[in-house]
Amino acid sequence: MDDVIVRIGGAAGDGVQSAGLILTKTFSRNGLYVSTYNYYQSLIRGGQGWYQIRTSEEVVKNQGSGLDVLIALNEDALNRHTDENINEGGASPLSGIAIFDGVMITNYNKNSKVKYCPVPLRDIALKYDKNPLLKNTVALGATIASLGIGFDTFANVIREVFDKKGKIAELNVNAAKEGYDYFMDNYSVYKKVKTIKRKMYASTGGDAVGFGGINAGMQMYFAYPMTPASSVMQFFSTHAKKYNIFVKVTEDEISAINAAIGANYAGVRTMTGSSGGGFALMTEGVGLAAMTEVPLVVYEAQRPGPSTGLPTKTEQGDLNQVIGAGQGDFPRIVLAPGNITDAFNLTKEAFNLAYKYQLPVFIMSDLYLAEHVETLLNIDLDYIMDNGLMARDNEENYKRYEFTDSGISKRAVPGQKGLMHNEDSDEHDEYGNVVSDQVTDPKIRMLSVEKRMRKIKEYIKNMPPTRTYKIEEADYLIVQWGSTRGAVEEVIDKLRGEDIKIGAVEIDHIFPLNPDIKNYLKNKKKIIVVENNYSGQLNRLLKSEFLINTDFIGKYDGEAFYPDELKNSIEGKINEKYEKIKIRGE
Amino acid sequence: MESYKGKVAPDWCPGCGNFAQLRAISAALAELNIEPENAVITSGIGCSSNMPEFINAYGYHGLHGRLVPVAAGIKWANPDLTVIGYGGDGDGYFEGTQHLYHFAKRNVDITYMVSDNQVFGLTTGQASPTTPIGRITKNTPDGNIEPPFNPLQYVLTAGASFVARGFSGDIKTLTEITKEAIKHKGFSFIDVLSPCPTYNKFNGYDFYRKTFYRLEGNNKEDFFEAYKHASEWGDQPHSIPTGIFYEVNKTRYEDADEVLSKGSLKKTAPYKLTEDDMAEFY
Repeated sequence: MDDVIVRIGGAAGDGVQSAGLILTKTFSRNGLYVSTYNYYQSLIRGGQGWYQIRTSEEVVKNQGSGLDVLIALNEDALNRHTDENINEGGASPLSGIAIFDGVMITNYNKNSKVKYCPVPLRDIALKYDKNPLLKNTVALGATIASLGIGFDTFANVIREVFDKKGKIAELNVNAAKEGYDYFMDNYSVYKKVKTIKRKMYASTGGDAVGFGGINAGMQMYFAYPMTPASSVMQFFSTHAKKYNIFVKVTEDEISAINAAIGANYAGVRTMTGSSGGGFALMTEGVGLAAMTEVPLVVYEAQRPGPSTGLPTKTEQGDLNQVIGAGQGDFPRIVLAPGNITDAFNLTKEAFNLAYKYQLPVFIMSDLYLAEHVETLLNIDLDYIMDNGLMARDNEENYKRYEFTDSGISKRAVPGQKGLMHNEDSDEHDEYGNVVSDQVTDPKIRMLSVEKRMRKIKEYIKNMPPTRTYKIEEADYLIVQWGSTRGAVEEVIDKLRGEDIKIGAVEIDHIFPLNPDIKNYLKNKKKIIVVENNYSGQLNRLLKSEFLINTDFIGKYDGEAFYPDELKNSIEGKINEKYEKIKIRGE
Repeated sequence: MESYKGKVAPDWCPGCGNFAQLRAISAALAELNIEPENAVITSGIGCSSNMPEFINAYGYHGLHGRLVPVAAGIKWANPDLTVIGYGGDGDGYFEGTQHLYHFAKRNVDITYMVSDNQVFGLTTGQASPTTPIGRITKNTPDGNIEPPFNPLQYVLTAGASFVARGFSGDIKTLTEITKEAIKHKGFSFIDVLSPCPTYNKFNGYDFYRKTFYRLEGNNKEDFFEAYKHASEWGDQPHSIPTGIFYEVNKTRYEDADEVLSKGSLKKTAPYKLTEDDMAEFY
């Protein structure tokens, strides 16, 4: 694949992210696919962070290995990203051009693989404004020139981003133009990027979940701030008025989930969300929704744990928590979008599932998925709200929890005439009345448990078929879930190119597992499970469900998989010979 | 009031203070002509929590300490409903304190009644947040050493716009207070002196009949007067005030919020997303 990877490195507060955003938009507006990566720390000023953008005229599925253009906003960034032994969780060192301020940064480590292209960023910036922050825009201008991309679309993006600041927008455009011209006058185009006239839509995972919620008819969102779940809350807060969404930051996550249960019970589609730590507090509420059969959608964005863990890093370590949250046996559905398009689509699906089956449905995300930007592969805004079975007003002998074949019984919401009933966290009978107070009724208890559990059987019958990738005649099978999909697919493409028959099962409906998965597990030389965690949480689930032997590749350094790094690990597993089991003394 | 009678008969101990509160809530709803389908009772966990079953209205019996956020979620979704949260002192003053404080501060338009019997009843008699110092209970065999929680002062400080105390032995006043609380636009709070004949032998009907009095002529808009009355307590006649301590007009959260103030979300169709909306991002 013909692609370009640009990385902007600097300290927190240097404007790394805003520069990255402008560049991402510029590529997208030029009809290119994008996928970004955000490496940052939990601090507001200082430290070292960077933003990477990969772009191509073909679909880009991950942040990519390799690095073509580095914008170094300080000396540390220049040295760090040109160092062969860069240790940033799988990111590649620079093997292209470095754009940096040659006046400010003079004493740096030289690497023969790098073409150094100093630009007097600060000097140019100061011509336009007292504030040297314009130097980032100058660097972006030089970068656009180095890729042979026309200036106009880029200028429009600058105007769009600085729109509200009026005059500042034009200052930025002019400074960028000088950076652009400086590069053209002193260096040659490093890698020509072909632009295409077509409309592309890109979004972060958080925004995609937000759009999905709105498309699904969601009208309220309750949460407590926690990275990386906050991006969804921020999306709704920013656009609350336009989309008529009521957003409330509650005093804690317990309140958020209980308020969301109240709102869904009252008949308004409502979502709540958090990261692992906040979700831990919601646990009891999950069981409440399940017991009272109130539809509930919970967004859970993972970050490395345990406890506070790494607040600005990524991991898939909460699967056990989400499938195990809440005391007792009860049905739930867990979805795990594999990319940003999926995050949009599965959020829509989550609401209809929650309302159809009247149970908690989870959308599992992670920091990488939530915060990186990616081109949406298709946008299907068609949606029919399925609120499931509803009772008619004044229905005779209404039983809220009627024991039906499917386990699904008709809901009634407050305000409906003649359907007054009780919904209870205690075990209850078909009417919702408690069965444990005066005389516990063991038979009703059993029937109630079975009724709730039948819903999940019904769901399994209606599940969409499991998603696969290049599964034809595969000797080797990768099984992945969630945000590792893009890296896995790229590795498969490359290995297929090397005549290795390998394919993947991509699990986005992760709990309960679709029984059809077993069809793909047969006659494989190896089944390799890839997860962004240490212990292999899906791996364990697969083994217990399908009684198979697997190999496992886990990554738990806080970063997402890079394709080359993952390819090495997978090749290692393919080539690994199982050792004969030695018995002591042999 | 008969129309509010639930299909399930109350199973509280004979003499339980909760019976009076059941009567007061049912009577208040009936006298205010609120249709049963437009009333929702939410409850937490404890002896109090089965209340929704005993009233012919919509009922939601949730988790210990969490009935207030559930009630607020319902009210925010559908402001046409009358939402009453009903719980106990363990339920509201231990696990639920943060919700009580913040929803009172937000002045969400719900009514919250607490059956305050100074003891954990359903778990058979442990000290609760309102148990007085020195009281011997199941888990304080040498007497309770923790100062009791003052719910009225707490809720006043939080910013509730309606703060009252009732007594289960004075159903008439309790009913009147409940009616006023339901009518009040904003967060209405009622702490009810509620005898527990099984686990609290000290503060029974006789004790309260001797010590309680009805506030009369108090300036309900005077925060400091209300706060002072809320500090009154004792075992002598005329030492425990009941009635409405505080009642002021204050902006409700629902009126201040730009989205909720536009009207009932329940009655509003969700936004229809278009492709142009998606374009504004990247």
